Amino acid sequence: MKALPKSRGSSRSLDRLLPIILLPIALIALGPVARLLLEGVGFGDGFTTEHLTTVLTRPSTGTALQHSLITAGGGTILSILIGATFAYLVALTDIRGKGALVFCLMIPMMIPPQITALAWMQMAGPSSTILKMFGLAPPLGSPQPLHSPAGIILLLGIQHASLVFLTLRAGLRMIPADLVEAARMSGASSFRVWTQTVLPLSMPSLIAGGAMAFVTALGNFGIPAMLGIPAGYATLPTLIYQRLVGMGPSVLPEVAVLSLLIGTVAILGVLLSRYVLSQRGFGLVGLSGNPLALNLGTARRPVEIGLWLFIFVILALPLLALAATSLIPAYGVTLTFTNATFDAWKEVLFTQPVTRRAYANSLMLATGAAAVLLMISLPLAWLMERRSSPLTRLLDGLIDLPYALPGVVLSIACILTFLNLPFTDLTLYGTIWIILLAYLARFFVVMLRPIQASIAQLDPAMEEAAASVGAHLGRRLRDIVLPLAAPSAAAGAILVFLTAVNELTVSALLWSSGTETLGVVIYNLEDSGETVMASALAMSIVLLIVVLMGIVQAGANRFPKGVIPWQS
Amino acid sequence: MAELEFSNLSKSFDGLPALQDINAQIASGEFVALLGPSGCGKTTLLRLTAGFEQPTSGQINLGGNTVAGPNSFVPPEEREIGIVFQSYALWPHKSVFGNVAYPLEVRRVPRAEREARVKEALALTGLSAFGDRMPSQLSGGQRQRVALARCLVFDPRAVLLDEPLANLDLALRASMHEVFSMFHRRTQATMLYVTHDQSEALALADRVAVMEAGKIRQFAAPEVLYREPVDCFVAGFVGDGAVVSAEITGRSENKNLILKVLGQEVQSRSATAEPSHVSIRPEAITLSSDAPLRAKVISCTYLGGRFRLTLDVAGETLIAFSEHRASIGESVGVTLHDLWAFRDPDADVVIAKSLAHA
Ligand SMILES: Nc1ncnc2c1ncn2[C@@H]1O[C@H](COP(=O)(O)OP(=O)(O)OP(=O)(O)O)[C@@H](O)[C@H]1O
Ligand SMILES: [Mg+2]
Repeated sequence: MKALPKSRGSSRSLDRLLPIILLPIALIALGPVARLLLEGVGFGDGFTTEHLTTVLTRPSTGTALQHSLITAGGGTILSILIGATFAYLVALTDIRGKGALVFCLMIPMMIPPQITALAWMQMAGPSSTILKMFGLAPPLGSPQPLHSPAGIILLLGIQHASLVFLTLRAGLRMIPADLVEAARMSGASSFRVWTQTVLPLSMPSLIAGGAMAFVTALGNFGIPAMLGIPAGYATLPTLIYQRLVGMGPSVLPEVAVLSLLIGTVAILGVLLSRYVLSQRGFGLVGLSGNPLALNLGTARRPVEIGLWLFIFVILALPLLALAATSLIPAYGVTLTFTNATFDAWKEVLFTQPVTRRAYANSLMLATGAAAVLLMISLPLAWLMERRSSPLTRLLDGLIDLPYALPGVVLSIACILTFLNLPFTDLTLYGTIWIILLAYLARFFVVMLRPIQASIAQLDPAMEEAAASVGAHLGRRLRDIVLPLAAPSAAAGAILVFLTAVNELTVSALLWSSGTETLGVVIYNLEDSGETVMASALAMSIVLLIVVLMGIVQAGANRFPKGVIPWQS
Repeated sequence: MAELEFSNLSKSFDGLPALQDINAQIASGEFVALLGPSGCGKTTLLRLTAGFEQPTSGQINLGGNTVAGPNSFVPPEEREIGIVFQSYALWPHKSVFGNVAYPLEVRRVPRAEREARVKEALALTGLSAFGDRMPSQLSGGQRQRVALARCLVFDPRAVLLDEPLANLDLALRASMHEVFSMFHRRTQATMLYVTHDQSEALALADRVAVMEAGKIRQFAAPEVLYREPVDCFVAGFVGDGAVVSAEITGRSENKNLILKVLGQEVQSRSATAEPSHVSIRPEAITLSSDAPLRAKVISCTYLGGRFRLTLDVAGETLIAFSEHRASIGESVGVTLHDLWAFRDPDADVVIAKSLAHA
C-alpha cells in the first residue's frame, strides 16, 4: 500500500492565490472611472461644486453639448435606417450572398473613424483626386461639403450602422419561425407579415441597437475632429481635446466635468432605451429552428443590386478615393496612369521616423494589450465561471463600463488616476504606459467575453478528470482549459488587436512626442496638410485590418457562437 | 489499493441535506456498488470521495489517512483516486494515446516507461488499434474504455465510477460488465460503482450499499440483500417479490419465528424477535390447487422457461413463478415457506392478539 504523497500544497495555494488577481484587475479596469467620479466633486481640494458650476454655465459647454446631441442623434437615426434595412433583408429574406454582404457591412465598424473621415473627404470636395480624374471636381475654393454637421451625421451614421444591424439580427433570430409561418398561412403578404408581426416583435432589439449606436456616436472623436474642427463646429469630445491640448493638465478638473457630462448623457440614453424596452416587454422564447427566408420573388435581384450598390458607395468608393489620393505625387495633382507613384507609401512606411514610430507604437500597444489581457482573462474567466462569488459577479457586472463609456471619458479618467501615481512622485502621463493601461481597461471585455463563453461551454468534468489523475490547478488551466478555450482566446486577442491598432480617441488625449499612435499620426498628418501621406498610411492600415478580419473569418466555425462580433 | 472509510459523513447544499450520517467501510480491493433511486445522493458521495466537494461534517479516510475531515482536506489531485464519468470526460484535444498518457505526464514518468504503460493499459481495454484516434472518432463504448484505461494507467488507490454505462445500449452494457469485472480482477483496485440499475449492481459488486434520501439503508452482499433485507425500502427496491405486513404470535419453531401472514401461520427466518413485515420472494411461493390460502391471478407473463404470475391475495399483490400458463381471473392455492421477516423502522409491531389468547 502506497502512502499518500505529502501534500505539495501548490494547488491549494494557487486556488487561494488566484482570487487575489481580482484586486489589480478591478483597480485597473474600474479605478480610473471611480477616480473621475470623485474629481467631479473636487476630490483632493475638498468637496466643492465650483468646477461643476463654472463649466456647466459656460456658453461653449452648452453649444458643444447641443452639437453632440444633434450629430449623435442624427447619426443614430441614419444608423437605424441603414442597419435595420440590412438586418431585415438579411435575416428574413432569400437574398443571396449574405455572408459577403455582412462582412462588407462590418468593415466600416472596424476601420478607425478618422480614416473613414479621411476617405470620404477624398471622395468629395474640390481637391478630390477621384473626382478630378473624371473631371467632376467642384471648382477650387468651393467648400468641402463634409466639413459640416450634415457630414458628421452622415459618417457617424455609416460608421455605427453595423451596431444596429448586429443587435437587430440577433433579435430577429429569436423570433420563432412558426409565428411568421402562421401569419403567412392565414394569407398575409410578405409586407403585412413584416409590418404586423416582425416589426413589433423586433422593436426591442431595434431600440437596443439604436441606444448602442447613440452612445458610441456620442463618444466618437475621430469623425467630428476631422470634419468639425476645420468648420469650427465643436462637439463635447473635440472640445475636451482642444482644451487639454491647448492648456495642458491644468484644465483637468474642468475637462473632468465635461467628460462626466458626456458620461451622463450616454447613461441617460441607455436608461431611456431600457425604460422604453421595459414598457413593451415581449418575452420571446427559444430559437427558431429553421431560419426565416421570405420569398422576395421577382424583387430579389433588384434588392440584391441595391444592397451591393449601397455597399459600393459607402465602402468601396471612399476607399478607392483614399487609394487614389495615396498614389498621387503631390496633393492637388490629377491622378493619371503615368504619374501614379508609391512614393508616399515608401515615405510613410520606411522613411518618416514619426510614422514608423507610430506603427511600432501601435503594434506594440495592440500586441501588448492583447497579450496581457489574454494572460489575465483566462484565469479571470475561469474564476468567474468556476469559483463564482459575489465579488466576481460584481466585477462581471461592472467590467463593461470602461468599454461602454465614451473613450474620452476613460482617457480623462486615466490621466487623473496616473498623473500622480499614488504614494510616489512618479507620473505615467506622457509615457506609453498610460496608453497601455487605458487600453487594458478599455478592451478588457473584448477579450474576456469570448473566453468566458467558451469556458462556460466546457464540461466541468473535463477539469475534474484532470484533477483526479493528479494535475494541479496550474496544469489543469494550462493543459485542459487553455487549449480548449484557445480558439476563442485567439479570436478575442485578434479583436483586441484590431480595435487597439485603430484606436484614436483614447490615444489622442494621452499621447506625447515619442508615443504617437497610428490614429494620432493620421490625424496630425491630415491636420498639417500632408493628405497624401495620411492617405497612404490610412490605406496600409485598412489593408492590415481587412487581412486580420479575414483570418478571424477563416477560423469562424471553430469559435463558440457569439465570439466573432460580425457573426452574432 | 487502499481501504476507504466514511464516518458520520454528512453533506448539505444550501442547508438542504444531500447525505446524512454515512458510515461505511470498504476493504482494500473490494468492488462496492452504490444503488438507489435518483436524487438519493450517490453522486454526492462519489464526489466527496474524489475530493470535488467538501463534507459538511464527518470524515473520509483512505488507506488510513484522513483525506477529508474537520481540519484537513486533501485536494482531488493528491488523492490518487481515479474516476470514470458518465459523460466520459475525455479531453477532446488529445488523442486516445494522449488522454491515457496524461496521468503519467503529470507524474513526470520517463518517456519510455510511459509509452510501455500506456500500451499496456490500451491492450488491457482492447484499444491497441485506436491509440492515434481522437475521442470524437470513437463509439460510446470505446470512449468509456478510454476513460477506464486513463484511470487504470496510474495505479489509483481507488476507482470511482458514476453510472459509467448509462449512455450505452443494452447489448453493449453486458459486454462492458465483462470489461469491468476483468478490470477489477486484473488491478485488484478498490472500486466504488454508482448505478441505479439493480441488476448491474447485483451482478458486478462484492457488496452493495442501498441508499435512499441521503442515507445508507443496507450495505451487504447481493445475496444477503436479496434474502435478508433490513427494511421495506430495501426489500421492495432490490429483487422481485412482495412485502407484506406480519403479526407476531410470540411462538417459534426450529429457530424460526411463527408469524401470521395473510391470515396464515407461517414459519419465517428473522433477525429480530419483533418483526413487522415479511419479504415474500417468488421462490418462496409454491402454487397448488388445494392449498387453503386462495389467490386470484391478475396477470401472467412468459419469461422464457417459466411464467411470472401476479397474484391477488386478500388485497395484497404477490409475485410467483409457475411452470404452466395460468388464465387471468383463475383461482390458485398458495403455500408460503422460507420467508424473511424484518422490522421496518417506520412500522409498529402488531401482535396477533386473537391467537395469543387462544
Ligand atoms: N451542487 C449541488 N448544489 C445543490 N444541490 C445539489 C448539488 N449536487 C447535488 N445536489 C442535490 O443533492 C441531492 C443528491 O444528488 P445526487 O446528484 O447525489 O443524486 P444521485 O443519487 O446521484 O441521483 P441520480 O441517480 O439522478 O444521478 C439531490 O437532491 C440534488 O438536488
Ligand atoms: Mg448521479
